[in-house]
Amino acid sequence: MFKTSRLKATYLNTWALLSLIFVLLILAPNVNILINALKPGNENWYHIKEYLLKDYIINSLTLVAFTGLFTVLLGTTLAWLVSVFEFPFRKFFKWGLILPLAIPPYIAAYTYDGLLNYTGVIQTFLRNSLKISVNQKYFNIMSMEGAVFIFTAFLYPYVYIITKSFLEKQSASLIENSRMLGRSPLEIFFYVILPLSRTAILGGVSLVILEVLNDYGVVKYFGIVTFSTAIFKTWFALGDIDSAVKLAAILMFMVFAVLLMENLLRGRKKFSYTTSKVRPITPLKLQGMKAAGAFVYCFTVFSLSFLIPTLQLVYWAFLAYQKVLHVKFWVLIINSLSAALVSSVLVIAIAVVIANYCRLNDGLISKIYSKITTLGYSIPGSVIAMGVIVFFVGLDRRLVWLYHMISENSSKLVLSTSMAMLTFAYIIRFLAIGYNAIEAGFARIGRKFLEASRTLGMNVTQTFFKVELKMLQPAIISGLVLVFIDILKELPLTLILRPFNFDTLATKSFEYAGDEMIHEAAISSLIIIIISAVSVYFFYKIGDREES
Amino acid sequence: MYVEIKNLNFKYKASRETTVVDFSLDMEKGETVSIVGESGSGKSTVLRLIAGLEIPLSGVIKVNNKVMVDDSTFIAPEKRDIGMVFQDYALFPHMTVAQNITFGLKRLTNKEKKERLAEVLELVSLEKFKDRYPYELSGGQQQRVALARALAPKPSLLLLDEPFSNLDADLQKKIREQLKHILKCTGITSILVTHDKEDALSIADSVVVLKEGRIVRAGSPAQVLA
Ligand SMILES: Nc1ncnc2c1ncn2[C@@H]1O[C@H](COP(=O)(O)OP(=O)(O)OP(=O)(O)O)[C@@H](O)[C@H]1O
Ligand SMILES: [Mg+2]
Repeated sequence: MFKTSRLKATYLNTWALLSLIFVLLILAPNVNILINALKPGNENWYHIKEYLLKDYIINSLTLVAFTGLFTVLLGTTLAWLVSVFEFPFRKFFKWGLILPLAIPPYIAAYTYDGLLNYTGVIQTFLRNSLKISVNQKYFNIMSMEGAVFIFTAFLYPYVYIITKSFLEKQSASLIENSRMLGRSPLEIFFYVILPLSRTAILGGVSLVILEVLNDYGVVKYFGIVTFSTAIFKTWFALGDIDSAVKLAAILMFMVFAVLLMENLLRGRKKFSYTTSKVRPITPLKLQGMKAAGAFVYCFTVFSLSFLIPTLQLVYWAFLAYQKVLHVKFWVLIINSLSAALVSSVLVIAIAVVIANYCRLNDGLISKIYSKITTLGYSIPGSVIAMGVIVFFVGLDRRLVWLYHMISENSSKLVLSTSMAMLTFAYIIRFLAIGYNAIEAGFARIGRKFLEASRTLGMNVTQTFFKVELKMLQPAIISGLVLVFIDILKELPLTLILRPFNFDTLATKSFEYAGDEMIHEAAISSLIIIIISAVSVYFFYKIGDREES
Repeated sequence: MYVEIKNLNFKYKASRETTVVDFSLDMEKGETVSIVGESGSGKSTVLRLIAGLEIPLSGVIKVNNKVMVDDSTFIAPEKRDIGMVFQDYALFPHMTVAQNITFGLKRLTNKEKKERLAEVLELVSLEKFKDRYPYELSGGQQQRVALARALAPKPSLLLLDEPFSNLDADLQKKIREQLKHILKCTGITSILVTHDKEDALSIADSVVVLKEGRIVRAGSPAQVLA
């Protein structure tokens, strides 16, 4: 009963066409991985499978399991303390405990190593001032335990933020009732808070796990072989893209398993509140030793995961700034910022197109589109990188005739040696962040202005540019900032896909650190941290204002 | 007939039951018809169907002998030349009163826009407020801006969805009189949705009563609402 001309009404127009193209482009590299993974393996692959694969799996799983466990412990206890109790500096810790997110784990890894190793501040002090020589074993952070420590200390905020905002929104009556029933705070924590915030904690910890699987910098620096490092090695050292893609495919399945598990465990209980009226918890004032205990706990975590590494970096930067701050460094900054800016603008533009299409057509297709659009953020950088390489090399092979038409002696690889490849990969990985911001923005605007505008003779596109773009501005800006910062910090994608001689603040920090030039690494690291910390603060304040 | 609506049927994707069942309505040019009914009876949905914001499962809508929708045609809302005043006004918050009102006048020259703006501002007596933003206006003033904005492009049919529901009782009475005056002045054909019988009695030439998406009564206001 659907006549063709009626289809026009379902906005079969530029927005639909563009959305389809973008979604297919996002999908292509990922599908490439899965298809290539099914090809029969070569000799390398046989070797990897027989002797190495087991280690990769065990190491990756060990990191994931312990980091997951410890971030849950740290994140939930901190969230519980700052939202249920009153103690000195609680207000500060509420947002201060989010700051570690501003320090990328790979920067934390080399900072802690530099702090603790034989020539580091601590051992030097012990040796020179106190004449104590320590057993190096206890001061070596370059181990599995060390990696778990780094991931826990710098990723726990994911669990903390989600659990905290859940507890704050949760109606206070449950907690207050249990208090009146004579339960001790600790009992309440285990029997009420933990089960209650299960879904929130799960959401946070799956972000942590995805970050651990995405990581390349920490494990590489500490010399732990995981999937990421294996993919790098297979590609760069052996030049074996087929085997690298196969590894990527296995990692991708692990990620899907994580996502599936999150969904199953969460079950049908999506963050739902039983009572509609949300009354904030009145914090319980802690006295004496208890207040001191709460403060010491929060302060210790804050010091280890923000204060100490930052101070150490500032000190190193101070030692090295004269050596580092020359023309080349400014070029580096400009490179890094402009690459991040161009990519984040593209991310937002694409996010706007897909989000607008999806909200105008609330059918199955829209659901599929937004799933695909947000999928990239779960997929580790090294996997996306492999998919993108295969995709671009394929493109180049098909476009050789064109390159030759344009210039007689053009090289065979044009796109796959250009910034286009890296930009494309950034878009796939970070589109989810931009999309979520824009989608929320559109949701806030609703459809009523569009409808009003259409009855006044403007079509969807005219309305977008004349009415909605202006109203979408806050969402666009916040999406832009979030994506920009994530790209600035990004390491694995950039390392694999960057054009020859192209460096960003992140890659330079990592390279300097790898070459034992820690002081030189400090300045670019600090720039990343300062920019991220400012935006973390900024978003915390905005989020806080909106909640109240 | 100037407006001919025949056997409209409609169901929202998310809902199970049919929201509008066999809705038919004929109107003369210049006539004002009022649709009344309880909350949830489908009044807004009927207006949305006429405006083109929803697509009916079946049925025909013709305005001024032009087919808006039938089995083989669907005209997009922006091409229908049908104006609408929304329940919550939907004034563009980042535009001034003048910008809101001239928004729909894209085919006019700047000079013509100015003239038309002055005309409608006078009609709704808001000359002094043309440079204000919507949030700087009272509820009643916002309501009149919404009306002026819908009238400005001289639509062939004007739809009004509970135009008084956001106003307090005193104001409702006053604005009802003004609206009646404005509709008569312009001679526009209009459909007014309301759940207030007095609105219908005082403004409409004829009344349609909706219940659970069906027309249960129709006729002159005095007959139907007695
Ligand atoms: N977008 C939607 N999706 C699904 N169902 C809807 C949607 N909008 C309205 N409905 C349902 O359709 C029915 C008719 O709604 P409609 O808004 O037309 O009623 P109304 O007569 O205008 O009510 P009111 O006087 O409260 O404005 C209601 O049962 C409502 O729940
Ligand atoms: Mg209604």
